[in-house]
Amino acid sequence: MQIECQNISFQYPHTDIHVFDQLNCRIDGAGFHALFGPSGLGKTTLARMMAREINGYSGQILSDRTEKILYTHNMERFPGWAGIGDIISSTTQASDRKFLDTLVDTFGVRPCMNARFSQLSLGQKNRANLIRYLLQDFDMLIMDESLANVDETTRGRIIITLKTLFPGKIFLYISHNMLEVAKFCRQVIVLRSADKSPQAQSVFGQDLMDAENFSMPHVERTMLEMVHVS
Amino acid sequence: MFHKRLQQFVLVYAAGVLSLILMKYLLHLSDYVIPGPLEIWHTALSVFVRYLWNVADTLWIAVVGHLISILLAFAIGVAGRRASWIGSLIRAAAYNIQAYPMVAVAPIIFILLGDGLLARLLIAVMICYFPLLLSVISILSEPVDSVEHFYEATGRMNWRLQVRIRAYENIHKLTTVIVGSATMAMVGTIVAEFVAADAGIGYSIRIALYQSDLSKILAALFLIGISTSLYLTALEWAGDVVERKFQA
Repeated sequence: MQIECQNISFQYPHTDIHVFDQLNCRIDGAGFHALFGPSGLGKTTLARMMAREINGYSGQILSDRTEKILYTHNMERFPGWAGIGDIISSTTQASDRKFLDTLVDTFGVRPCMNARFSQLSLGQKNRANLIRYLLQDFDMLIMDESLANVDETTRGRIIITLKTLFPGKIFLYISHNMLEVAKFCRQVIVLRSADKSPQAQSVFGQDLMDAENFSMPHVERTMLEMVHVS
Repeated sequence: MFHKRLQQFVLVYAAGVLSLILMKYLLHLSDYVIPGPLEIWHTALSVFVRYLWNVADTLWIAVVGHLISILLAFAIGVAGRRASWIGSLIRAAAYNIQAYPMVAVAPIIFILLGDGLLARLLIAVMICYFPLLLSVISILSEPVDSVEHFYEATGRMNWRLQVRIRAYENIHKLTTVIVGSATMAMVGTIVAEFVAADAGIGYSIRIALYQSDLSKILAALFLIGISTSLYLTALEWAGDVVERKFQA
């Protein structure tokens, strides 16, 4: 599995600002990867290009065995006319109901399954939203700040669960939490401003699978590399 | 709600009548131009029952016309919300037609359909339908990205779900638009009756105008105000019920 951006140049219509200028990057293989960089450099734009939600750029995005790409972000909402349990069930195949139960328990949203979306905390909203995406058919899921407002322990548990339950899928995690990205992600694509070349560089994180194997030196080295690159 | 609306109307109405009477005495106008308070009161009592039936007749036409225009506006609005050529055509047609004074078209309708119920109903529908349609199209064509994104991304979006999401997210705007258009339905019906019909309170006002009887006109205006307040209150109540049910 692979997705590769080749010579991507892009500027939003009616602006002179170049978001990307000959950007190249590649994500190799299934796993938990990250897109990292300061705000305003185009992480969301690039993610939506990969998910084919933004067109009109030059260059090309090639994919190998990565056809179904979903993009989700932390500002999404559920329809308000029913409880989140009913809304999630309505978009879940009958064969995945058991899997839904597993995710609900792991993500810690069981107590609020009957509540309306507007009644949930921000962290619960993001977890519920992520669950419904995980129950869809996808090869790659781009999670744009999808675990924002979730406490650190639960975030770590969720990320490790994703790696365990979906070993054959690509996850691209967009986050500003450098420690978390360095700790849990395998490949970290660090975006830089359009006047720097290359505009994207890869760094490799610890790709932690369980808390016991946490290696601070490895994570510190990754973080230093990320700072240096950006 | 009715109590508040009634209070507002009675205040405005009383201010209007008082200023007329003040004008009468300040300018020494004859009773023929502006009748005295006692004459207004006696005329109001004598025509009250007849005018009440006339207003009920008008209100009935306005309510039916309003309901028809709501149904039509939603049916056409669902098609017009789309960014296709059909949607553009519907929007352009509605903008142009609603900018045209419907009263000017009313005589054509009376010539073609006569001065009966159908012509009154049609004019009432036409006067409130086009502004209602434009509002419905504008509300239903506005994407609610934060809710719709998931369904678009996973290929689950269909027109029924899209309309449901947008209507749900804008339920307060929709009920406000519906309540607002009720006044237009009432005005449309009265104008139609005034122009050429042979029934309703608009027709009675026309007869009173021919007789230069301001007392009758004031009595008719009072009953129109009361009935419009009643209808608007009923609609606001229905809107509240719908909103509460949606958000329960």
